[in-house]
Amino acid sequence: MIGYVEGTSPLHRAHPYTTLAAAAALLMGAFAMTRPLEVWLLVAAALGYAAVGGVLRASARTAVLLSLPIWVVLFVLHGLLGAEPRVLAGPVALSAPGLARALVLGGRVTAIVVGFLTALAATSPHRLVEAMTADGAPFGRAFLLASTLTVLPRMRERAAQILEAQQCRGLRLGGSPFARLRALAPLALPLVLGALAEVDEQVLALDARGAASGARRTALDPPDDSAAQRVLRWTLLALVLAAYGWKFWRMRG
Amino acid sequence: MTLRDLVLVRLGVALNLVIGQIVAALLLPVYLDSVGTILVAALVGPRAAIMAGLVSQVLNAVISGNFSWLPFAVVQVVIALYAAAAARLGLFRRLATAVPAGIGMGFVAASCSAPISYFLFGGVTAGGVTAVTTVLRALGVPLGVAVASASYSTDLLDKAIACALVCVVLRTLPRTLAARFPALAR
Repeated sequence: MIGYVEGTSPLHRAHPYTTLAAAAALLMGAFAMTRPLEVWLLVAAALGYAAVGGVLRASARTAVLLSLPIWVVLFVLHGLLGAEPRVLAGPVALSAPGLARALVLGGRVTAIVVGFLTALAATSPHRLVEAMTADGAPFGRAFLLASTLTVLPRMRERAAQILEAQQCRGLRLGGSPFARLRALAPLALPLVLGALAEVDEQVLALDARGAASGARRTALDPPDDSAAQRVLRWTLLALVLAAYGWKFWRMRG
Repeated sequence: MTLRDLVLVRLGVALNLVIGQIVAALLLPVYLDSVGTILVAALVGPRAAIMAGLVSQVLNAVISGNFSWLPFAVVQVVIALYAAAAARLGLFRRLATAVPAGIGMGFVAASCSAPISYFLFGGVTAGGVTAVTTVLRALGVPLGVAVASASYSTDLLDKAIACALVCVVLRTLPRTLAARFPALAR
């Protein structure tokens, strides 16, 4: 599960800025935590956040799948190849400081991934664009957010077509690294030049829709933003700043 | 930012994310995930390129689910600024100058990404860089040196190829198309 999931949880009903602020606080907080216990408390907070969003099982499952390769490399790089002293875990001698570091780093990645997967599952792109429009955000930001995701499948399809067409004309994709590097230009050039040729057409289309006008747009269905949610967002910011303050104070001591 | 810049940012982001599909088909040991950023920097300048780099990084995280890559957005900003400066100096006009400019870009990018990778993630991010780091570490190389060596070796190659590709694109642009980008004439 990567993407928006329909729902009626408190996170789905919250203002999109609140949902995203919580995920951003988890991201920033993860780098302020330097001890295994602190990081794993943050992982628990991220799982709690997913539970509030009603996507705990889906978020946790996807997060495990995404973090597993990182956990494996962390275990090899820090647990097996880490510094002395070592502790015996069955037949294997593992690095004690390396294991602690792997727990911190792996916990960070897990907390961030769970936090953002949840935010993504609970934030409707449409509501986010409406919130940005209501907030007076420039057209460009909403455009980039909404339209880039729609243009990607089209570009991917075009890349696949070019690949097939060039192979039909006799382009070989295998061989030595230099031969493969030489094949890059015939594949990438048509894609880039084709996209550049369409720029003017797209500019005209946007202009016709009044995108160049600096006038403030009216949101049709702006999400509610309560005072309590605004307080919550400021509180999250204060918590992140406090976490960094504590981190640097401890480093000085 | 003008409408044209905005459309080009979108194109740059799409290129950053799609060119990997071609690279994967060719089994090349590089990512080329900043070709769009470099191209936008050469066509319209640093502001749009920075935007393209940042949006690419965020969308890449959204699409892949690897949100821990978000701190590497700083590297995209540095690449955008470097590429804009290189374009202003006319380094993308010839392959003979574009490739060294790419090597310089790789050096700068690795100097930014290696500390992020080492201090925030203990050298473990994903993909080929981590594989090289693990092999070097297994050979007894200290972690910091392994992370730096892996970052520099992959970034130098990656950015040299990316800049060469952008140079080829700019040289093959039809004159009518090139005339629409005043930054190219400088």
